[in-house]
This record gives sequence, structure tokens and C-alpha cells, in this order.
Amino acid sequence: MFFRIIPKREIPELVRGLASQFHVIGPVAKDGSFVYAPLSAPAELRLDYDTTLLPAKEWFFPSSETLMRFTVADNVVIDDSVDETKRVLFGLHPCDVNSLLLMDNVFLGDNPDPYYKARRDNTLIVGVSCMPNEHCFCNAWGTDETHWGFDIFLSDIGEDYYASIRSVMGAELVDRYVAGRPITDDDTAAFQRRTAEFKAAFTNDVDTSQLPVLLDAKFDSDIWEKLGEKCLACGACSMVCPTCYCFDVHDVLEADQLTGCRVRTWDSCQFKEFAEVAHGHNFRDTRASRVKYRYYHKQWGYLSKFERVLCVGCGRCTRACKAQINPPRVVRALQTGLVD
Amino acid sequence: MAPRVVVLSLASDFGCQVQLSNMTDEILDVLGVIDLGYWQLASSGHMPTEYDVAIIEGAVTTDEHLELLRDVRQTAAVVIAMGACANTGGIPGLANLVDLDERYTVVYGSGSALKVAPGKRAPMPLDEFIHVDYHVPGCPIDTSEFLRVLSHVLLGMKDRVPNLTMCASCKLNQTVCFFDRGQLCLGLVTRAGCGARCPSLNRPCTGCRGVAPDANLESARTIIVAAGHRADALENGLRIYNTSQEVRG
Ligand code: SF4
Ligand code: SF4
Ligand code: SF4
Repeated sequence: MFFRIIPKREIPELVRGLASQFHVIGPVAKDGSFVYAPLSAPAELRLDYDTTLLPAKEWFFPSSETLMRFTVADNVVIDDSVDETKRVLFGLHPCDVNSLLLMDNVFLGDNPDPYYKARRDNTLIVGVSCMPNEHCFCNAWGTDETHWGFDIFLSDIGEDYYASIRSVMGAELVDRYVAGRPITDDDTAAFQRRTAEFKAAFTNDVDTSQLPVLLDAKFDSDIWEKLGEKCLACGACSMVCPTCYCFDVHDVLEADQLTGCRVRTWDSCQFKEFAEVAHGHNFRDTRASRVKYRYYHKQWGYLSKFERVLCVGCGRCTRACKAQINPPRVVRALQTGLVD
Repeated sequence: MAPRVVVLSLASDFGCQVQLSNMTDEILDVLGVIDLGYWQLASSGHMPTEYDVAIIEGAVTTDEHLELLRDVRQTAAVVIAMGACANTGGIPGLANLVDLDERYTVVYGSGSALKVAPGKRAPMPLDEFIHVDYHVPGCPIDTSEFLRVLSHVLLGMKDRVPNLTMCASCKLNQTVCFFDRGQLCLGLVTRAGCGARCPSLNRPCTGCRGVAPDANLESARTIIVAAGHRADALENGLRIYNTSQEVRG
């Protein structure tokens, strides 16, 4: 990794330069909130955003995507091309950069998903530092820092960004589009001060001690029933989650019924239909069993396979869940035995 | 051979049939895969006696409707309930809240009921009386959902009307939740499938697609009250389209 100081006023220049080569996607304002969207002008980029409604996974694993088009009569695939658009995702916070690494474990493992891989291979990531809001708890999982998974990471040190550059491509682009300057010891000291302020700003106290043990020991606890009583089974938590990767696949025919599309859409383990199999048996028929499953999978199942929990503490589900079911609260319930 | 399809209406405002005529991009393709035997809104002829698929809009509000409905069920291999009225009783269902005779008198004057609507009945959706094979709920229907269902009918696939609630699709639209703006939204309990269209157009969901079988009404009520709305806000809101369902229990 090497470093560069990029004055904040040079960011529009950088964005303009990137836009001459790539589709640039970044956080933009929407109805008092923020979304990742294509930038039509550098001024739209809102690096002061707190969080986005949907996470960045949308740009690698869209909520609905056509996997292939086929003919109905003779079952011939007529188009299964992948999306190789050159993109830059500009402005991901550490949680979101980390979330993509967790997604990679799933989609780029032994049998890489060609659709995800094509987008991932063709997208550069520019991260940006942030300050936690009341819902953030990335510090609980150590996803408040990221040391890989980006091309450039911009840490705010006042007038300037302390830019960590991770890839050759990132270095070339910084060289090409911004003047910047080398870092000094003073800059690194400012970076350290800023990091300390960031770490001190978290207000969510999530006690993750012995979480896997608690999950197993409390498999039959009545906290799950209580959470199940609250849950709306709406799946909003999964939709907004940067680390939920379940999907459904179905065919949709054109109105003439001659050709069709095989479509992949996001799914949620909180939907009742999720664990229903042929003949109508449902492995997780109750809301309680589904909420429990969500937490077992994220905090234990995935951990046992990939040595990380499947949560980056972004707090999106905390905002989205009208029933106030969220990881800090569930972890608290596991620790105390009470649903508060 | 293309199946012969009829489109007919019971008590409704023909809005869903108008939606069908709004499918300007697809209607010719659709007409290429079906044998349209009758379309109440658009046909000048009469309904044929033999047909395979009946698309029925509207609620049952008279004995005559009921007779027709039973007759159609005898004839058609497939019955599709189209729109809120046919699926939940919809707007006509609101009449279940009042005394029917009295209501007719208010609208048409005393002694009118027999003349205006002989054999009037409390408005009910189709499945109160017959088995419905496919459901396209909504007021009015969403044409892309209609096309998907038609496709399933033609392929002999089962009905896939969603049983889940609206909020997941609303998240996909990146709409700021109405509860976060201090407003009530019935998407918490309403059947998904329209792509959360109203919230995406800046209007809270009014429940036109009916209560989702997977909805958690009790929790939704608690959430709505905790958000500062009246204790009966959920029931009241749902009444617009779901009174028949409420009466049926
Ligand atoms: S579970 Fe919640 S906090 Fe964790 S990554 Fe998903 S949305 Fe963010
Ligand atoms: S936990 Fe919350 S967001 Fe998730 S399905 Fe249940 S009610 Fe919906
Ligand atoms: S606006 Fe309505 S449909 Fe959308 S998430 Fe909120 S309650 Fe659900």
C-alpha cells in the first residue's frame, strides 16, 4: 500500500477524470436519505453521507437480473452475456468495502458466479472514511477498518484526504487525474488523530463475548419466540443488508410466449416460502424459527466456514426493521436472556 | 390450439378491464396466443357458451352475479380473479359496513332496492362461492403481473400470487419508509406483487391487494400505535378494500 495526500478540492477533478473512462457510481441525496446512483456531475457526489438505503451489493448482484434469454419451443439459450461495464464505485464506507469481501467468499469460491465475477472484475472501489451514526456498530466485528478490498481509500484529515492506494490501477488513476502530494509525518499523525476520534465516536455497545457459545447454548431459549412475535416476516432486513446473498430464480416469458428470461431476484430467509419444499413441507414455518435462522446463519454458520461473521454492523437493518429487530438487540437478548 | 378466453365483469367500475386495454405494448402479442371469445368492455357480440379461461372482474353483489359466476365455473377450466373487487370484495365490499336496505334507500330513494337491484347481496369476492385458480389482485391490476399470471395459465403452472407483505419490494425501490416520515402505511401487512408502486409514487400503501397471508397483524398494530397512530388506524385503513374479508372473518 502506498499513500498520497489529495486535497478535497481536487475530488471533483478526480471524479471528472474517472468519468471519462468509467461509469461512476456514488452516494447521492434522495428524499432526505442517500442512494448509490450513477453520477451525472461531480457535484452530486455526497461524501458526507451517513448511509445509503440499499447497499453497494446492488451493483454486483442486482436485486433483479436476467441470467439468460431463451426460446420456449426449442429451449435454446439466445443470450447469457454478462455485464462488463467498466465502473467505479466511489465513496464506500469501511463496512461496505468489507461487505463485498464477505460476498466474494460466497460468489467467487470454488464455482465463481460469472455474473457477479464480471461486475466485480470490472469495478474499481474507492472507499471513504466516515463517522459513526447512532445505528453503526461495525466496531463490534472489526469491520470499522479495511486494509484490502479497495483500489483507493480516502481518509478525511480535514482539508485533505489521506489516500491509501492498494492497486496499480488506483495508483495510475490518482497519478493521472490529481496533483496531490506525498504524505508527511504530520499527515500520518493527523490520520491517527482522526482514527482515534472515529473509534471514540461509537455509541452502540455490542457485547459479542462468546457469541457462538451463546447461540448454541440458547438454541431453545424463549427469546426467539418473543422476537418471532414481533417480526413482520417482511424481509426488509435482508433486502437492505450488504451481506445477505440469497436469491430465487424463475422464468418470465414475453407476452408472445415465444421467448423468455431466466431472472434472479433477491430472496430472504424471513419469507415464509423460503424454506418450503415440494409437497408443501416447510422447514421454517414459524417467524420465530426464521428470525433465529437469520442470526444463526450470520453469527455462527458463516463464521464456522469463513472465520468472519456475516454482518458488517452497517445498521441498515436497524433502520429498516419496523419491529426493531436488529443485531445489537438480538445480541443483547442472547447475553441477558431478555428481549428488551 | 389457443385457449378461448372470456373477460367479464360483476360489480366493479371496469377499471381492471381498462388496464387490460392499457397494455398497448403487449396486447397484440397476447391476442396472438389466446382466442379472445368475449371481452365485456370491448366486444359488441355476446359471450360464447364454450370457453376455457374466464377472467372475472368485480365482486358478487346480486343473485344474478352469483348465478353467472357458478355457471362460468361450470364451463371454464380456469378462472382468474382480476382486481381488488374480485379478490377481496374491494370497494363494493364497503357496503358490508352498513345496512344494505338503508343504503339503497339513501342512494336511490325509498322502496328502490327491489327495482334497482333485485336479489341484492352483501358484496363478496369470488372465492366466497367458487374455487378460483389464479389471482391478480390490486386496484387496478398491475399489467405486468397480469401478463405473468396469463403466462402461468398458458403453461399450466400453479398460481404464484405472493403471500408476503409489501416492505421488501419497497426497500428495493429505495423509498424512504412512510413510518420514518411520520405517516401510516399499510404496506406492513399488504400482499406484495405490485412492486410497491404507490409508495414509490409517494403515496402510502392503502391495502388494495388485500392482507398478505403471511402478515403479522398483531405486531403491525403495535408498531402503528407506537408510531403515534390511533389504535384502530390499521383496521380503519384496511377497510377501504378489505371489508368483505373482515366480515367473512
Ligand atoms: S445484519 Fe444489519 S447491520 Fe449487519 S450487515 Fe446486515 S444490514 Fe448491516
Ligand atoms: S426482522 Fe424486521 S425487517 Fe426482518 S423480516 Fe422481521 S420485521 Fe421485517
Ligand atoms: S413505506 Fe410502507 S411498504 Fe414501504 S417499507 Fe414502509 S411500511 Fe413498508
